[in-house]
Amino acid sequence: MSDEPGTPLGPSLGSDPFAQGDGTLPYLIRLRERSMRVVVAEAAPARVRRAARTQRADPPDLGPPVPELPSFDDRDESAGALDRLAGWILTGSDEDRLVQLLASLGGRPYDQFGLSPRVTRRTLALFKLLYKYWFRVESSGHAVLPEKEGAILAANHGGLLPFDASMIVVDGVLGATPPRLVRTIVDRWAGTLPFVNVFYARVGQIMGSRDNVRELLRQQQLVLIFPEGMAGVRKRAAERYVLQPFHLGFVEESLRHRVPIIPIAVVGADDQAPVLWDVQPLAKLLRLPFFPITPTFPLFGLAGLLPYPVRYEIAYGEPFRFYDEFPPEALEDPHAVRYMAERVRRRIQEMVDQRVLARRSKRA
Amino acid sequence: MRRVLVTHVESPVGRRVAKALFHDPDVGLVVGLGTGAEPSFLAPYRGKVAYQRLDLAKARHLQSFLHSERFARVRPDSVIHLPFAAEQSGERVPGGVHTLVSETRRLVEECAEQRGIDRFVYLSSAFVYEPVPGNGNVISESQLLGFEGERDPLVRAWIDADLVCQGELHGPSLCMTILRAATIVTEAGDFLNSPPLAHRDAALGYDPMLAVVSDRDVARALVLALHADRPGIYNIAGNEVFPRSQLAAGAPRSTLAFGALALAERLWRRAPPPSRDFDRYGMVPSARLAAETLGFEPQYRIEVRGSGAARRIDTIRCR
Repeated sequence: MSDEPGTPLGPSLGSDPFAQGDGTLPYLIRLRERSMRVVVAEAAPARVRRAARTQRADPPDLGPPVPELPSFDDRDESAGALDRLAGWILTGSDEDRLVQLLASLGGRPYDQFGLSPRVTRRTLALFKLLYKYWFRVESSGHAVLPEKEGAILAANHGGLLPFDASMIVVDGVLGATPPRLVRTIVDRWAGTLPFVNVFYARVGQIMGSRDNVRELLRQQQLVLIFPEGMAGVRKRAAERYVLQPFHLGFVEESLRHRVPIIPIAVVGADDQAPVLWDVQPLAKLLRLPFFPITPTFPLFGLAGLLPYPVRYEIAYGEPFRFYDEFPPEALEDPHAVRYMAERVRRRIQEMVDQRVLARRSKRA
Repeated sequence: MRRVLVTHVESPVGRRVAKALFHDPDVGLVVGLGTGAEPSFLAPYRGKVAYQRLDLAKARHLQSFLHSERFARVRPDSVIHLPFAAEQSGERVPGGVHTLVSETRRLVEECAEQRGIDRFVYLSSAFVYEPVPGNGNVISESQLLGFEGERDPLVRAWIDADLVCQGELHGPSLCMTILRAATIVTEAGDFLNSPPLAHRDAALGYDPMLAVVSDRDVARALVLALHADRPGIYNIAGNEVFPRSQLAAGAPRSTLAFGALALAERLWRRAPPPSRDFDRYGMVPSARLAAETLGFEPQYRIEVRGSGAARRIDTIRCR
């Protein structure tokens, strides 16, 4: 299946890797058929559209047929209901984008990192609601995202739970043209957490290690890295939107693989759960990376960790191509690498400052 | 024309290797070593494949074979060592060393001393790598081995045997090739070489990804390594990766609350059982180096249909 934008998906299905009898095929074909049906419905006369709407409102006929369970997830009894729910939330265009993305799996039910098309679809549906109605994300500058090539996306990090990462991922799927699946590099600590590690793997997020980053870049994927690391998440409310010092690994990998670094400014994440105090002794006792006190946590228990409904802004900046500016030996020079990382940090800080200032002036 | 000695030929992989070597025009003679009576599946290959009853775990058996008239007549120049039959027995020699390690050490030392043998291919396991979340999900040959912490005796034996063979990697006399295979799937749908699938317990909140490879592809990789003059370490894996829960047969008998253990670890600094690390962290070796150097490409695709008791595993030829 071609992942060229605008390529008709139907006729090529006979010769694509999915046509090898893999369990993913019926699932993806149904997704495609469903999106085609939506397009047909939009082009139909008003009478037909009304009839379709009436049919949609009727509970026994919940719109398009439920995708047949692929063989790799047959055991999940509740899959039908969740898939139906996802079908309600995602539009035909969203499904189409998803089909384009999942085509890169080459027909396998899971990729090497554990990404599952089914879980990704369900999660995308849920996070689309957050994207549109909770965080009301506004994004700009998608044109800098490469169509097929790999790149490192470097963004500022904030908020207790990584909703900034999830919003960038959703933005990559729903906002970018052609859609791109952004693979976030997750802190290793998250890999030790039960359930969390499985969820991250199934939606295509990757545990942080050099080998993983290299493998992703070899596969020409978009790799989202938060060079601030944990320092970005645990910074106090007083330091909101002040970028912490960057780790340097992302610059080294960019030079090594000759992929651009695309700076991303995320505004809103730092307001979603302002950290008043980081209780380090308690964090050490519980062997956690940090133990935050926020206006709602631990006052309201775990529910206090949920983000406030703040507006998000995601801006993509012009890519840095350090491999064109510097000779390959620069990779071995720690000063040069630090200088490059600092340039990226400053650029993101500028982008963040501009947007924060614009917000403040708008409020004023 | 190569004259090849294949250890544990009665094992599932040994059977495949014997068949592959029988059809290989560059192999003149195959001597299969095994502990029991001659396996019946060797009967059709008798013209080219001979069988020798020999217990590698016993030093005297190996010594007397190496100095026998039969060995002198056969004059093998290559060895393919498949320790899977020994691994299943779980026997230990009095010194506390696993039979797998002792027989591998003995065989490597003897082969290094034998002037005629110049090539040694050892089938190791990808589970020798350290199972930690910091590892790459896709593990290259340069990853650390699982020295840290307490390991399952069998896994420890794999690591030790792997190290024994590594000791000869740059030796002057042997061209040593170590193949570290992911979870091996036999035609019958059984698994070899996979600690997470050896028991039916599951770790609550964890479902590690496991790479799988068909036993036929492993046999092919061994033959490729035999002919390629490329000593080194290579991962062998198929293209498919599955979560443990999908590969495990039957409903889990019990679910270990690793979540609770992890919490206990945080609260009381009590570490969860280290030997169960494979239940938490996946093992997906990257076979890129084998593809580039040995020309290994998986020819069989593994499909898993259904789950639990109804789970069925199909091996389908794709090339």
